[in-house]
Amino acid sequence: MSLIRTLSSRSPWLYRINAGSCNGCDVELATTACIPRYDVERLGCQYCGSPRHADIVLITGPLTARVKDKVLRLFAEIPEPKVTVAVGICPISGGIFRESYAVCGPIDHYLPVDVNVPGCPPRPQAILEGVAKAIEIWKSRL
Amino acid sequence: MGFLRVLIRNLLAGPSTDPFPFGETFTPKALRGRVVYDASRCTSCRACEQVCIGGAIRFDNTPEGRRFLLWHNTCTFCGLCAFYCPQDAITMTTDWHLSHAQEDKFKMVEHGLIPAAKCVACGADYVAVAPTAKAFAGYAPSAEEVESLRQCCPRCRRKQAAEIAAAKTKGLPS
Repeated sequence: MSLIRTLSSRSPWLYRINAGSCNGCDVELATTACIPRYDVERLGCQYCGSPRHADIVLITGPLTARVKDKVLRLFAEIPEPKVTVAVGICPISGGIFRESYAVCGPIDHYLPVDVNVPGCPPRPQAILEGVAKAIEIWKSRL
Repeated sequence: MGFLRVLIRNLLAGPSTDPFPFGETFTPKALRGRVVYDASRCTSCRACEQVCIGGAIRFDNTPEGRRFLLWHNTCTFCGLCAFYCPQDAITMTTDWHLSHAQEDKFKMVEHGLIPAAKCVACGADYVAVAPTAKAFAGYAPSAEEVESLRQCCPRCRRKQAAEIAAAKTKGLPS
């Protein structure tokens, strides 16, 4: 088990949840992952398609009423231990959508958030910094 | 054959990956990052609060004075507050290192206090905001003149500003 623990601490898998985001932060997340200039895979991270493979969850968007139940169900499917990163000001505080009738956020009312990366959208370096913080937290939870 | 030139250039230039977070990264000079507030320049016109898209800016009246509060976690870095600030009391820095752990969520705040004071001329209670540029219409004020106006309540301030202006512009064609 300790070998698996050592190995897995080097390769946390990322999973993206769009909780009603405007796509600005998602574009920045794609930039962080896909463009060699920022290349999040240097940290050992990789985006995965299934919530069941995920270790670090990146949530964007203010948690709209429409997607709330789906996001919560998806989040419950992610196995423990997991680290949650709120990307952008919308999941952190509601941002410019705060107090809207269509928005249920901020997201930490529903999910345990570990790291916040504010910005509208945050620049790729800021996201990298947040992911690096999340990896530190994740190592302590293994 | 143009590709050969590109190939050789790329071989010589090395990887284009930004070394961050293991090394230094670049920050554009015009990047809009963390907002900084200078209470000593603020006239408390509250234009920033009015234009703030995210509702990040708030002014509170407390016994100590007028308190400025900006929560970075709902600031969009649009720069409207800095643009509309007539006194340049709000400025945007290029600092983008804002990611933080959840327990620091409500500590990501820019504070400022314009202290409450008593007027040196009439003894009335007031908030010692900076004098507006309008108070010095027609001449460039010295630092002492700005400071003396700051120590007066709005009513005495008007009177004193008019007196200074009258003395300064004496003999000038109107």
